[in-house]
Amino acid sequence: MLRYYFCFINSAMNKVFLFCLSLLLLLSSCIELIDDITIHNDGSGTFKYTMNLSSSKIKVNSILALDSINGKKVLSKAEIKSKINLFASHLKTQTGISNVSVSINDLELIVKFSCDFTSVSTLQNGLKNALIAINNNKNTEDLNQNWLSYDGEVLKRNIPLFSITLSDHVKELDIDLLKTGNYTSINRFDRPIVKVEKVGAKINPSRTACMLKVNTYDLHKNYSLIDNCIYLSPKKNK
Amino acid sequence: MKKLMFFLLLVNFSNVKSQSELLIPKEAITVFSINNLNLLQKISVDELIQYEFMEEVHQELFDGSTSEKTLKDAGIDFNQRLNVFYGKNNDYELSGFTFGVSDLTNLFEVFDDFEELQSKYDNTKLYGSFFNNLIIKNNAALLIRFEPSNELVNRQTDSIWYSRGNLPPFDFNEEAFNEEVFETEDSTYLEPIIYNQEELPIEIDDPNEKNYNELRDSVQITLQEALLTNLLDALFIDNLNLVKSDARFSEQLTHPCEATFYFDNSRSFKTANGLWYFQTIMPSIYKDLQELYTGNIILGDLFLNDKSIDFKVKTYYGEKLGDIYSEMNDAKFDKNVTKYIHKGNSAFFTYNVNMKKAYEKAYQTIMPIISAEKNADVAMNVLMLELLNEFVDKDAVFDTYKGSMFATFNGIKKINTKKIEFIYDEITFEYEEQETEAVEDMPVFTLGFSMGREDIPEIILRNLGKLTSKFEKHDDYWVLNNAILEAAPLYMISKNNLFIFTNDVDLAVNHSDGYGTNSLPKKVVRKLKRGGFMNGYLDIAGTLNRFPSDLLNNQQSEMINSLKGKSGKMYLSSSKTTNKLTAFDLKYEFNGTEYSGQHLLDLINTVYIFSK
Repeated sequence: MLRYYFCFINSAMNKVFLFCLSLLLLLSSCIELIDDITIHNDGSGTFKYTMNLSSSKIKVNSILALDSINGKKVLSKAEIKSKINLFASHLKTQTGISNVSVSINDLELIVKFSCDFTSVSTLQNGLKNALIAINNNKNTEDLNQNWLSYDGEVLKRNIPLFSITLSDHVKELDIDLLKTGNYTSINRFDRPIVKVEKVGAKINPSRTACMLKVNTYDLHKNYSLIDNCIYLSPKKNK
Repeated sequence: MKKLMFFLLLVNFSNVKSQSELLIPKEAITVFSINNLNLLQKISVDELIQYEFMEEVHQELFDGSTSEKTLKDAGIDFNQRLNVFYGKNNDYELSGFTFGVSDLTNLFEVFDDFEELQSKYDNTKLYGSFFNNLIIKNNAALLIRFEPSNELVNRQTDSIWYSRGNLPPFDFNEEAFNEEVFETEDSTYLEPIIYNQEELPIEIDDPNEKNYNELRDSVQITLQEALLTNLLDALFIDNLNLVKSDARFSEQLTHPCEATFYFDNSRSFKTANGLWYFQTIMPSIYKDLQELYTGNIILGDLFLNDKSIDFKVKTYYGEKLGDIYSEMNDAKFDKNVTKYIHKGNSAFFTYNVNMKKAYEKAYQTIMPIISAEKNADVAMNVLMLELLNEFVDKDAVFDTYKGSMFATFNGIKKINTKKIEFIYDEITFEYEEQETEAVEDMPVFTLGFSMGREDIPEIILRNLGKLTSKFEKHDDYWVLNNAILEAAPLYMISKNNLFIFTNDVDLAVNHSDGYGTNSLPKKVVRKLKRGGFMNGYLDIAGTLNRFPSDLLNNQQSEMINSLKGKSGKMYLSSSKTTNKLTAFDLKYEFNGTEYSGQHLLDLINTVYIFSK
């Protein structure tokens, strides 16, 4: 199962997926992913992304202990950390992005990433540019997709295209292993949420946050599970 | 009457040895001789080449024109042996096959890239392709690739080059020579060095004068031809072949088995790359060590039975090496070992030697060899060894590590670990880390060593326990937390004159004195006690079915998967070691409807995959 994960981190393009918002990591067994976006009334906000592999420590560490799999080099923990930090350093230089922070718990295999942004579009562009930068300035069609849009009233979310491309490679045998993983998407706002389109998305009592939790296996079978459209109440006039 | 007896003897001899093995060159160091080719007749070439081990053979021998042909259609005489051989020394490397020929026309439909060459040998036809030569005499063929070593070619080329008054052929500076490492999308690789035009051997104005590379090519071809001519002269003029030059191999071929294995370790020793230092710097030590290995040869027979495959191997030694091995293997089986091998284990291995006796015999045999060398470095090492021998308490050392050990594999078990989970606040959807119990799959193994000094590991562990809190002492065992892949604990048990490492919590906590009635049955224990220094057991279903196929590529996964459906058991045993030989018996018993030949091919392929 994790072969896909570690093969992907071997190639430059695949390195992209390690730290991006993609759902690619649902290819990993027993993985916990959290994306948490806070959007303020002025369109600025904070993006947090967490990848938790601690429940697969033995499997991940056993693969990291290898030099290569299927003829392809497996990066060491130090190399992976270095790539993540390189991504963060590129992101710091992007317009509209600030307070970039990365924490890596290499004992428990938990990566936490966060940054502030001035608008949703600067977040998407900043992430895209940083990914291209660590990918030796190579762009791909998948990265041109806007998987997040916000017009001040409505937030639309889709699944990133590149995650679809790669998850198509999951073997039937491996898919069973996805059943224990989960992906959690949290969106927070300054003002109340009027409604969310996705059935199953929870709204908190103050209606300022919604959470959508899906099983990685189900998500692999149906990518639209993570699509959502969140409608906010109108801004109050000052 | 005498004439009649002589005639009958000749007839008998010719029945025992068919033509093909008489074409195995005496230079061969390793030979695998297949006696019963019935199994190959049942397999089409296309099916056979599905096996990865056939890939290299196929690349050289077969092409698209052989599609849907079987080996039976290839003009091969299945009444003769198929012999695969390999040999190497410092000057050359050779490999090839010898086999019987029944139909030349069909044969050359398979070997369709060979052209006939002029032959000086009686009743012998010579053919050549780009890499290989095919020689056919009567109804037997030798397919051979014979290549001079790079060292020999370079040596000869340099000699000619400089004798002509030429300057060094390559004039590149050190900076240009350094290989640059580039990271690419898929892997790290070495960028090929591109030399400037000035750095290449310069083309000489006289077109009849060869540059260095052209000269080297000529030397290589000339040497190849000369080496091959020498080999063929020996085979077809002097009638010298491996059967004639090695009586042990000749005798082995008379065994009524499906295949025979031959490996001359004494000649292999001479070409071992790791010994170049001895060869060049300390030739007298090298010569003495070479003598030590004289007579070291491995001979084996393969038997394909209805539901089992039996591989019987004998390792022969020269007198001195035999003395060391017989002393080393003169160890009483440690019966405590069997207490710690569960009767339901998937695989186990025991190794029973007496390191103290081996050390003393090796010291007695090897020290005079080393001491005779007049070399300052060697003299200092000899001094150090002799002082250590005098000052060190050898009883304490060899009581701590006697040399005997065992290992078991008990399949994949669920083991308890810790994990971090994120717990969500239902009001705010904020989340925080929380440590919880987790269960993960892990191969469960045990590794134990016989010892007479339980106090020594206790001293080590006690002091290590002061250095880190990861060491914990319990009543019956020690535990080193997060020792395995930074997640699982490693348990250490020091009891019953054994020091045991295991990740099996059940063994450490509940069975630190052994499995009791659940340990190996008495029948197996008796067999182990009676056997020699090495014993093993492998349950194919119990082991391969749990093999982590994630770590293999598609082709390898398919191979493992093909074996997974099989259920069989493999047993390894050895005889008592004498100063002349040790015998090994590897028996593979299987269930299923397929014939043993197919099982064998599957196994060969598996071994090939993992030894690549």
